[in-house]
Amino acid sequence: MTQTSLKSAPSPLAPVPFNVPPAHKTTLDNGLRVILFRDSRLPLTSFRLAFLTGDIHDPIDNIGLTSALASMLTEGTENYSSLQLAEKVERLGASLSASASDDFTIISGSSLALYNSEILGLLAEIVFTPTFPENELDLYRRNTIENLKFQRSQPNFLAGEQTARVIYGVHPYSRVSPTAEDVEKLRSSTMSNFHRRQFVPNNAVLIVVGDLELDPMLEEIRDHFGDWPRGVVETNTPPAPPEMDKTRLTIVDRPGSAQSNIVLSNLAIPRNDPEYFPVLVMNQILGAGASSRIFMNLREEKGYTYGAYTRFDSKRLTGSFEATAEVRTAVTGESLNEFFFELGRIRDEDVLQEELDDAKNFLTGVFPIRAETQEGMTNLIVTQELYGLADDYLQSYRENVSAVTADDVKRVANRFIHPDRLSIVIVGDANEILPQTEGRADKAFVFDTDGNEIQSP
Amino acid sequence: MSSNFHLPPLEIESYTLENGLRVVLNQDDSVPVVAIAVYYDVGSRNERKGRTGFAHLFEHMMFQGSENVKKAEHFQFIMKAGGTMNGTTSSERTNYYETLPANQLPLGLWLESDRMRSLAVTQENLDNQREAVKEEKRLRYDNQPYGQIFDLIAEMIYTNFANSHSTIGSMDDLDDATVEDVQEFFRVFYAPNNAVLTVSGAFDTETAKGLIQSFFGDIPSQPLPQRVNVEEPDEVAVRYKEWEDKLAPFPAFLVGWKIPPRRSPEFNALFLAGKVLYDGESSRLYQKLVKGDESVIQLFGFTDERRGPSSIFVGAIPKPEKDLSKIRDVIMTEIAHIAEHGPTADEMQKLHNQLINDTVRHRQSSQSRAQAIAEFALYDGDPWLINSELETLLAITPEQIRLSVDRYLNSENRALLDVVPAGMG
Repeated sequence: MTQTSLKSAPSPLAPVPFNVPPAHKTTLDNGLRVILFRDSRLPLTSFRLAFLTGDIHDPIDNIGLTSALASMLTEGTENYSSLQLAEKVERLGASLSASASDDFTIISGSSLALYNSEILGLLAEIVFTPTFPENELDLYRRNTIENLKFQRSQPNFLAGEQTARVIYGVHPYSRVSPTAEDVEKLRSSTMSNFHRRQFVPNNAVLIVVGDLELDPMLEEIRDHFGDWPRGVVETNTPPAPPEMDKTRLTIVDRPGSAQSNIVLSNLAIPRNDPEYFPVLVMNQILGAGASSRIFMNLREEKGYTYGAYTRFDSKRLTGSFEATAEVRTAVTGESLNEFFFELGRIRDEDVLQEELDDAKNFLTGVFPIRAETQEGMTNLIVTQELYGLADDYLQSYRENVSAVTADDVKRVANRFIHPDRLSIVIVGDANEILPQTEGRADKAFVFDTDGNEIQSP
Repeated sequence: MSSNFHLPPLEIESYTLENGLRVVLNQDDSVPVVAIAVYYDVGSRNERKGRTGFAHLFEHMMFQGSENVKKAEHFQFIMKAGGTMNGTTSSERTNYYETLPANQLPLGLWLESDRMRSLAVTQENLDNQREAVKEEKRLRYDNQPYGQIFDLIAEMIYTNFANSHSTIGSMDDLDDATVEDVQEFFRVFYAPNNAVLTVSGAFDTETAKGLIQSFFGDIPSQPLPQRVNVEEPDEVAVRYKEWEDKLAPFPAFLVGWKIPPRRSPEFNALFLAGKVLYDGESSRLYQKLVKGDESVIQLFGFTDERRGPSSIFVGAIPKPEKDLSKIRDVIMTEIAHIAEHGPTADEMQKLHNQLINDTVRHRQSSQSRAQAIAEFALYDGDPWLINSELETLLAITPEQIRLSVDRYLNSENRALLDVVPAGMG
């Protein structure tokens, strides 16, 4: 190679294909869907048992129940105490935990492949025979209440809380956490009842990825989960989130803040929306990464922030668009100007062919990197199964990204970003922020860090 | 079960270019992805007084353009190739890395070589990155509850300036940094003979070697920088300090001990002792404090591994009405118990399975392999340690753990930082 060849970026080598083989899928007689995916690169296995019951399914008089139930699954069963369970799992060098999100409850296990049977057995143990012991529940209640207080010291929690409240209104996605009063009301008996009704096989998917033989694994799964009796899956449609007809400005006064946390947000799309891929590409150009327009503008050109991004948080029923940055307080107003400039530009102007190609190349290229670890591969399969995405979602992902056009980008920017009617939430020193937000909305709603509306800071 | 577990060794090839650049290749084509990691032997330990935070500020400058790569083009080249990248700075080293589709290996190597050869430094870029770093400091440290406690306790544990000052640095020192400082730092520390280049993942070895030679081969070497003195007396510098945190909702405390360097038998034994004490729900302190006494909201602990004197920490955020000194007594009692009796057989079995599990998991990603290999190559001059480190740790005996805990942790020679919430108006 000559010296001049160092002057410009070298050409790539021949592309190496990356094919995701299809997973093995079956449904047991009781309705439990089972997805097995062989990954024998290393002697590891990942387990996920997911229920289509999440925080939004909390009974209205028992907010926080689903998350509490998930946490309590590993706190005692008919055969083992909380400590015995922890010891059994950790002595294998394995992990077993459960947590709930808005839409789902997921029990996750992972271990060396030589302990597959032990982990599967323990997973069945916590799913079938949790006892929700009073002393552990009492500890959960008190720790959760302390953690709620702790969260209130963190600006991004406060920003997320107000944003969800404004854009989701009466829809249960508006709740980012229960209140202390909700937590006080949690009872072991309520938990057992809810567990009995929701933890049924026809409401669940079991996903196993790793170093496994299909038939023996399936047989073992049948042994543990085959006799699990089917139940009745309750479905109810939550009330619709509000239509916003103008911009709403919310400020959380946090005196002494060194920065303003800015979140601009409006309602957007659920995860299985047909516009998902155009939105993905549009967001990549606008603000998903460190070469996106918003980062280049607010950080690289202006130096207002360490990072500024946009994202689409697409849940099962609906979702939101968000633009966020933590900026130094003195440039809060200028940062808003730049955000609105970029939100307008992606709607009004065609993106350049080069920007479009770059975004698509990134999304298609990074796909195998995300699938490199077993956890990464498992998360892709979990997403596909839980959100009801196409059977060939993983196989056709890159084609779907490549098919997006500049017209698609402009169309979805106009459909799903609404600079004239969105939620502006800013957490920081209200006295410093208020003068910098004049003219952004009819009025500013000011809250304290406890979530109470106040007149003025 | 754990004693007969066999993990096949990684394929490692290591060689040095004529200019002194150490190259390590780890070929593994299970996924068509390739990871590149460049480790420079410079970190905050190399900073002089009045320039704290400089190594990290410099890391930002490495993304601001070089002879053939314009400002911000580094991000763009990597992203349009479908890759990910970043850089980080610690006390020990500064690293730069990218993960790319396998066929983009030439691009990643070219980008790293261009900025090792020639950095474009302008006043405007320096001013801009200084602001970005200040926002990073505000975001991660100044505007977070408890955000500054780890920097504060490092100042209490270490007496040597090289060890005690923070990597993020002070705002005043950042303001004082000049373009000339950047250029001089580049010349002294960013020479090929002060770096390790690791490539891990799917590639053809001969192709990779050819590319590395053509991109990096003629970058001139420099006289090696003076070795930094990181020696410390055994004593910690400050035993007690109270810190008013205006963002903290609850009191908290952090206890830190000064311990021997990474990979020393004592360090390894204390690393395992730490896992017995605070790692996981079956750990001793979790069971005593979170479960038994129900006295803390959060319990945490970790080791800070350095080539010189290192440290280990245990901290807790107690529940509001709890007596902090009683919680510390529980911690010291448990430490004294290990110092007398050592870990149990059950705890040793748990440690062994956890070590095996962690080792296997870290092998999955080409980037985590590349980084682990680069550290062994840079710090120990031996990239093959990646294949023997598990055995080294598995060989540590309960008696070694007992002795190290007795000598280093069961002691008054520790720093205690009390965090006092100072209210938010």
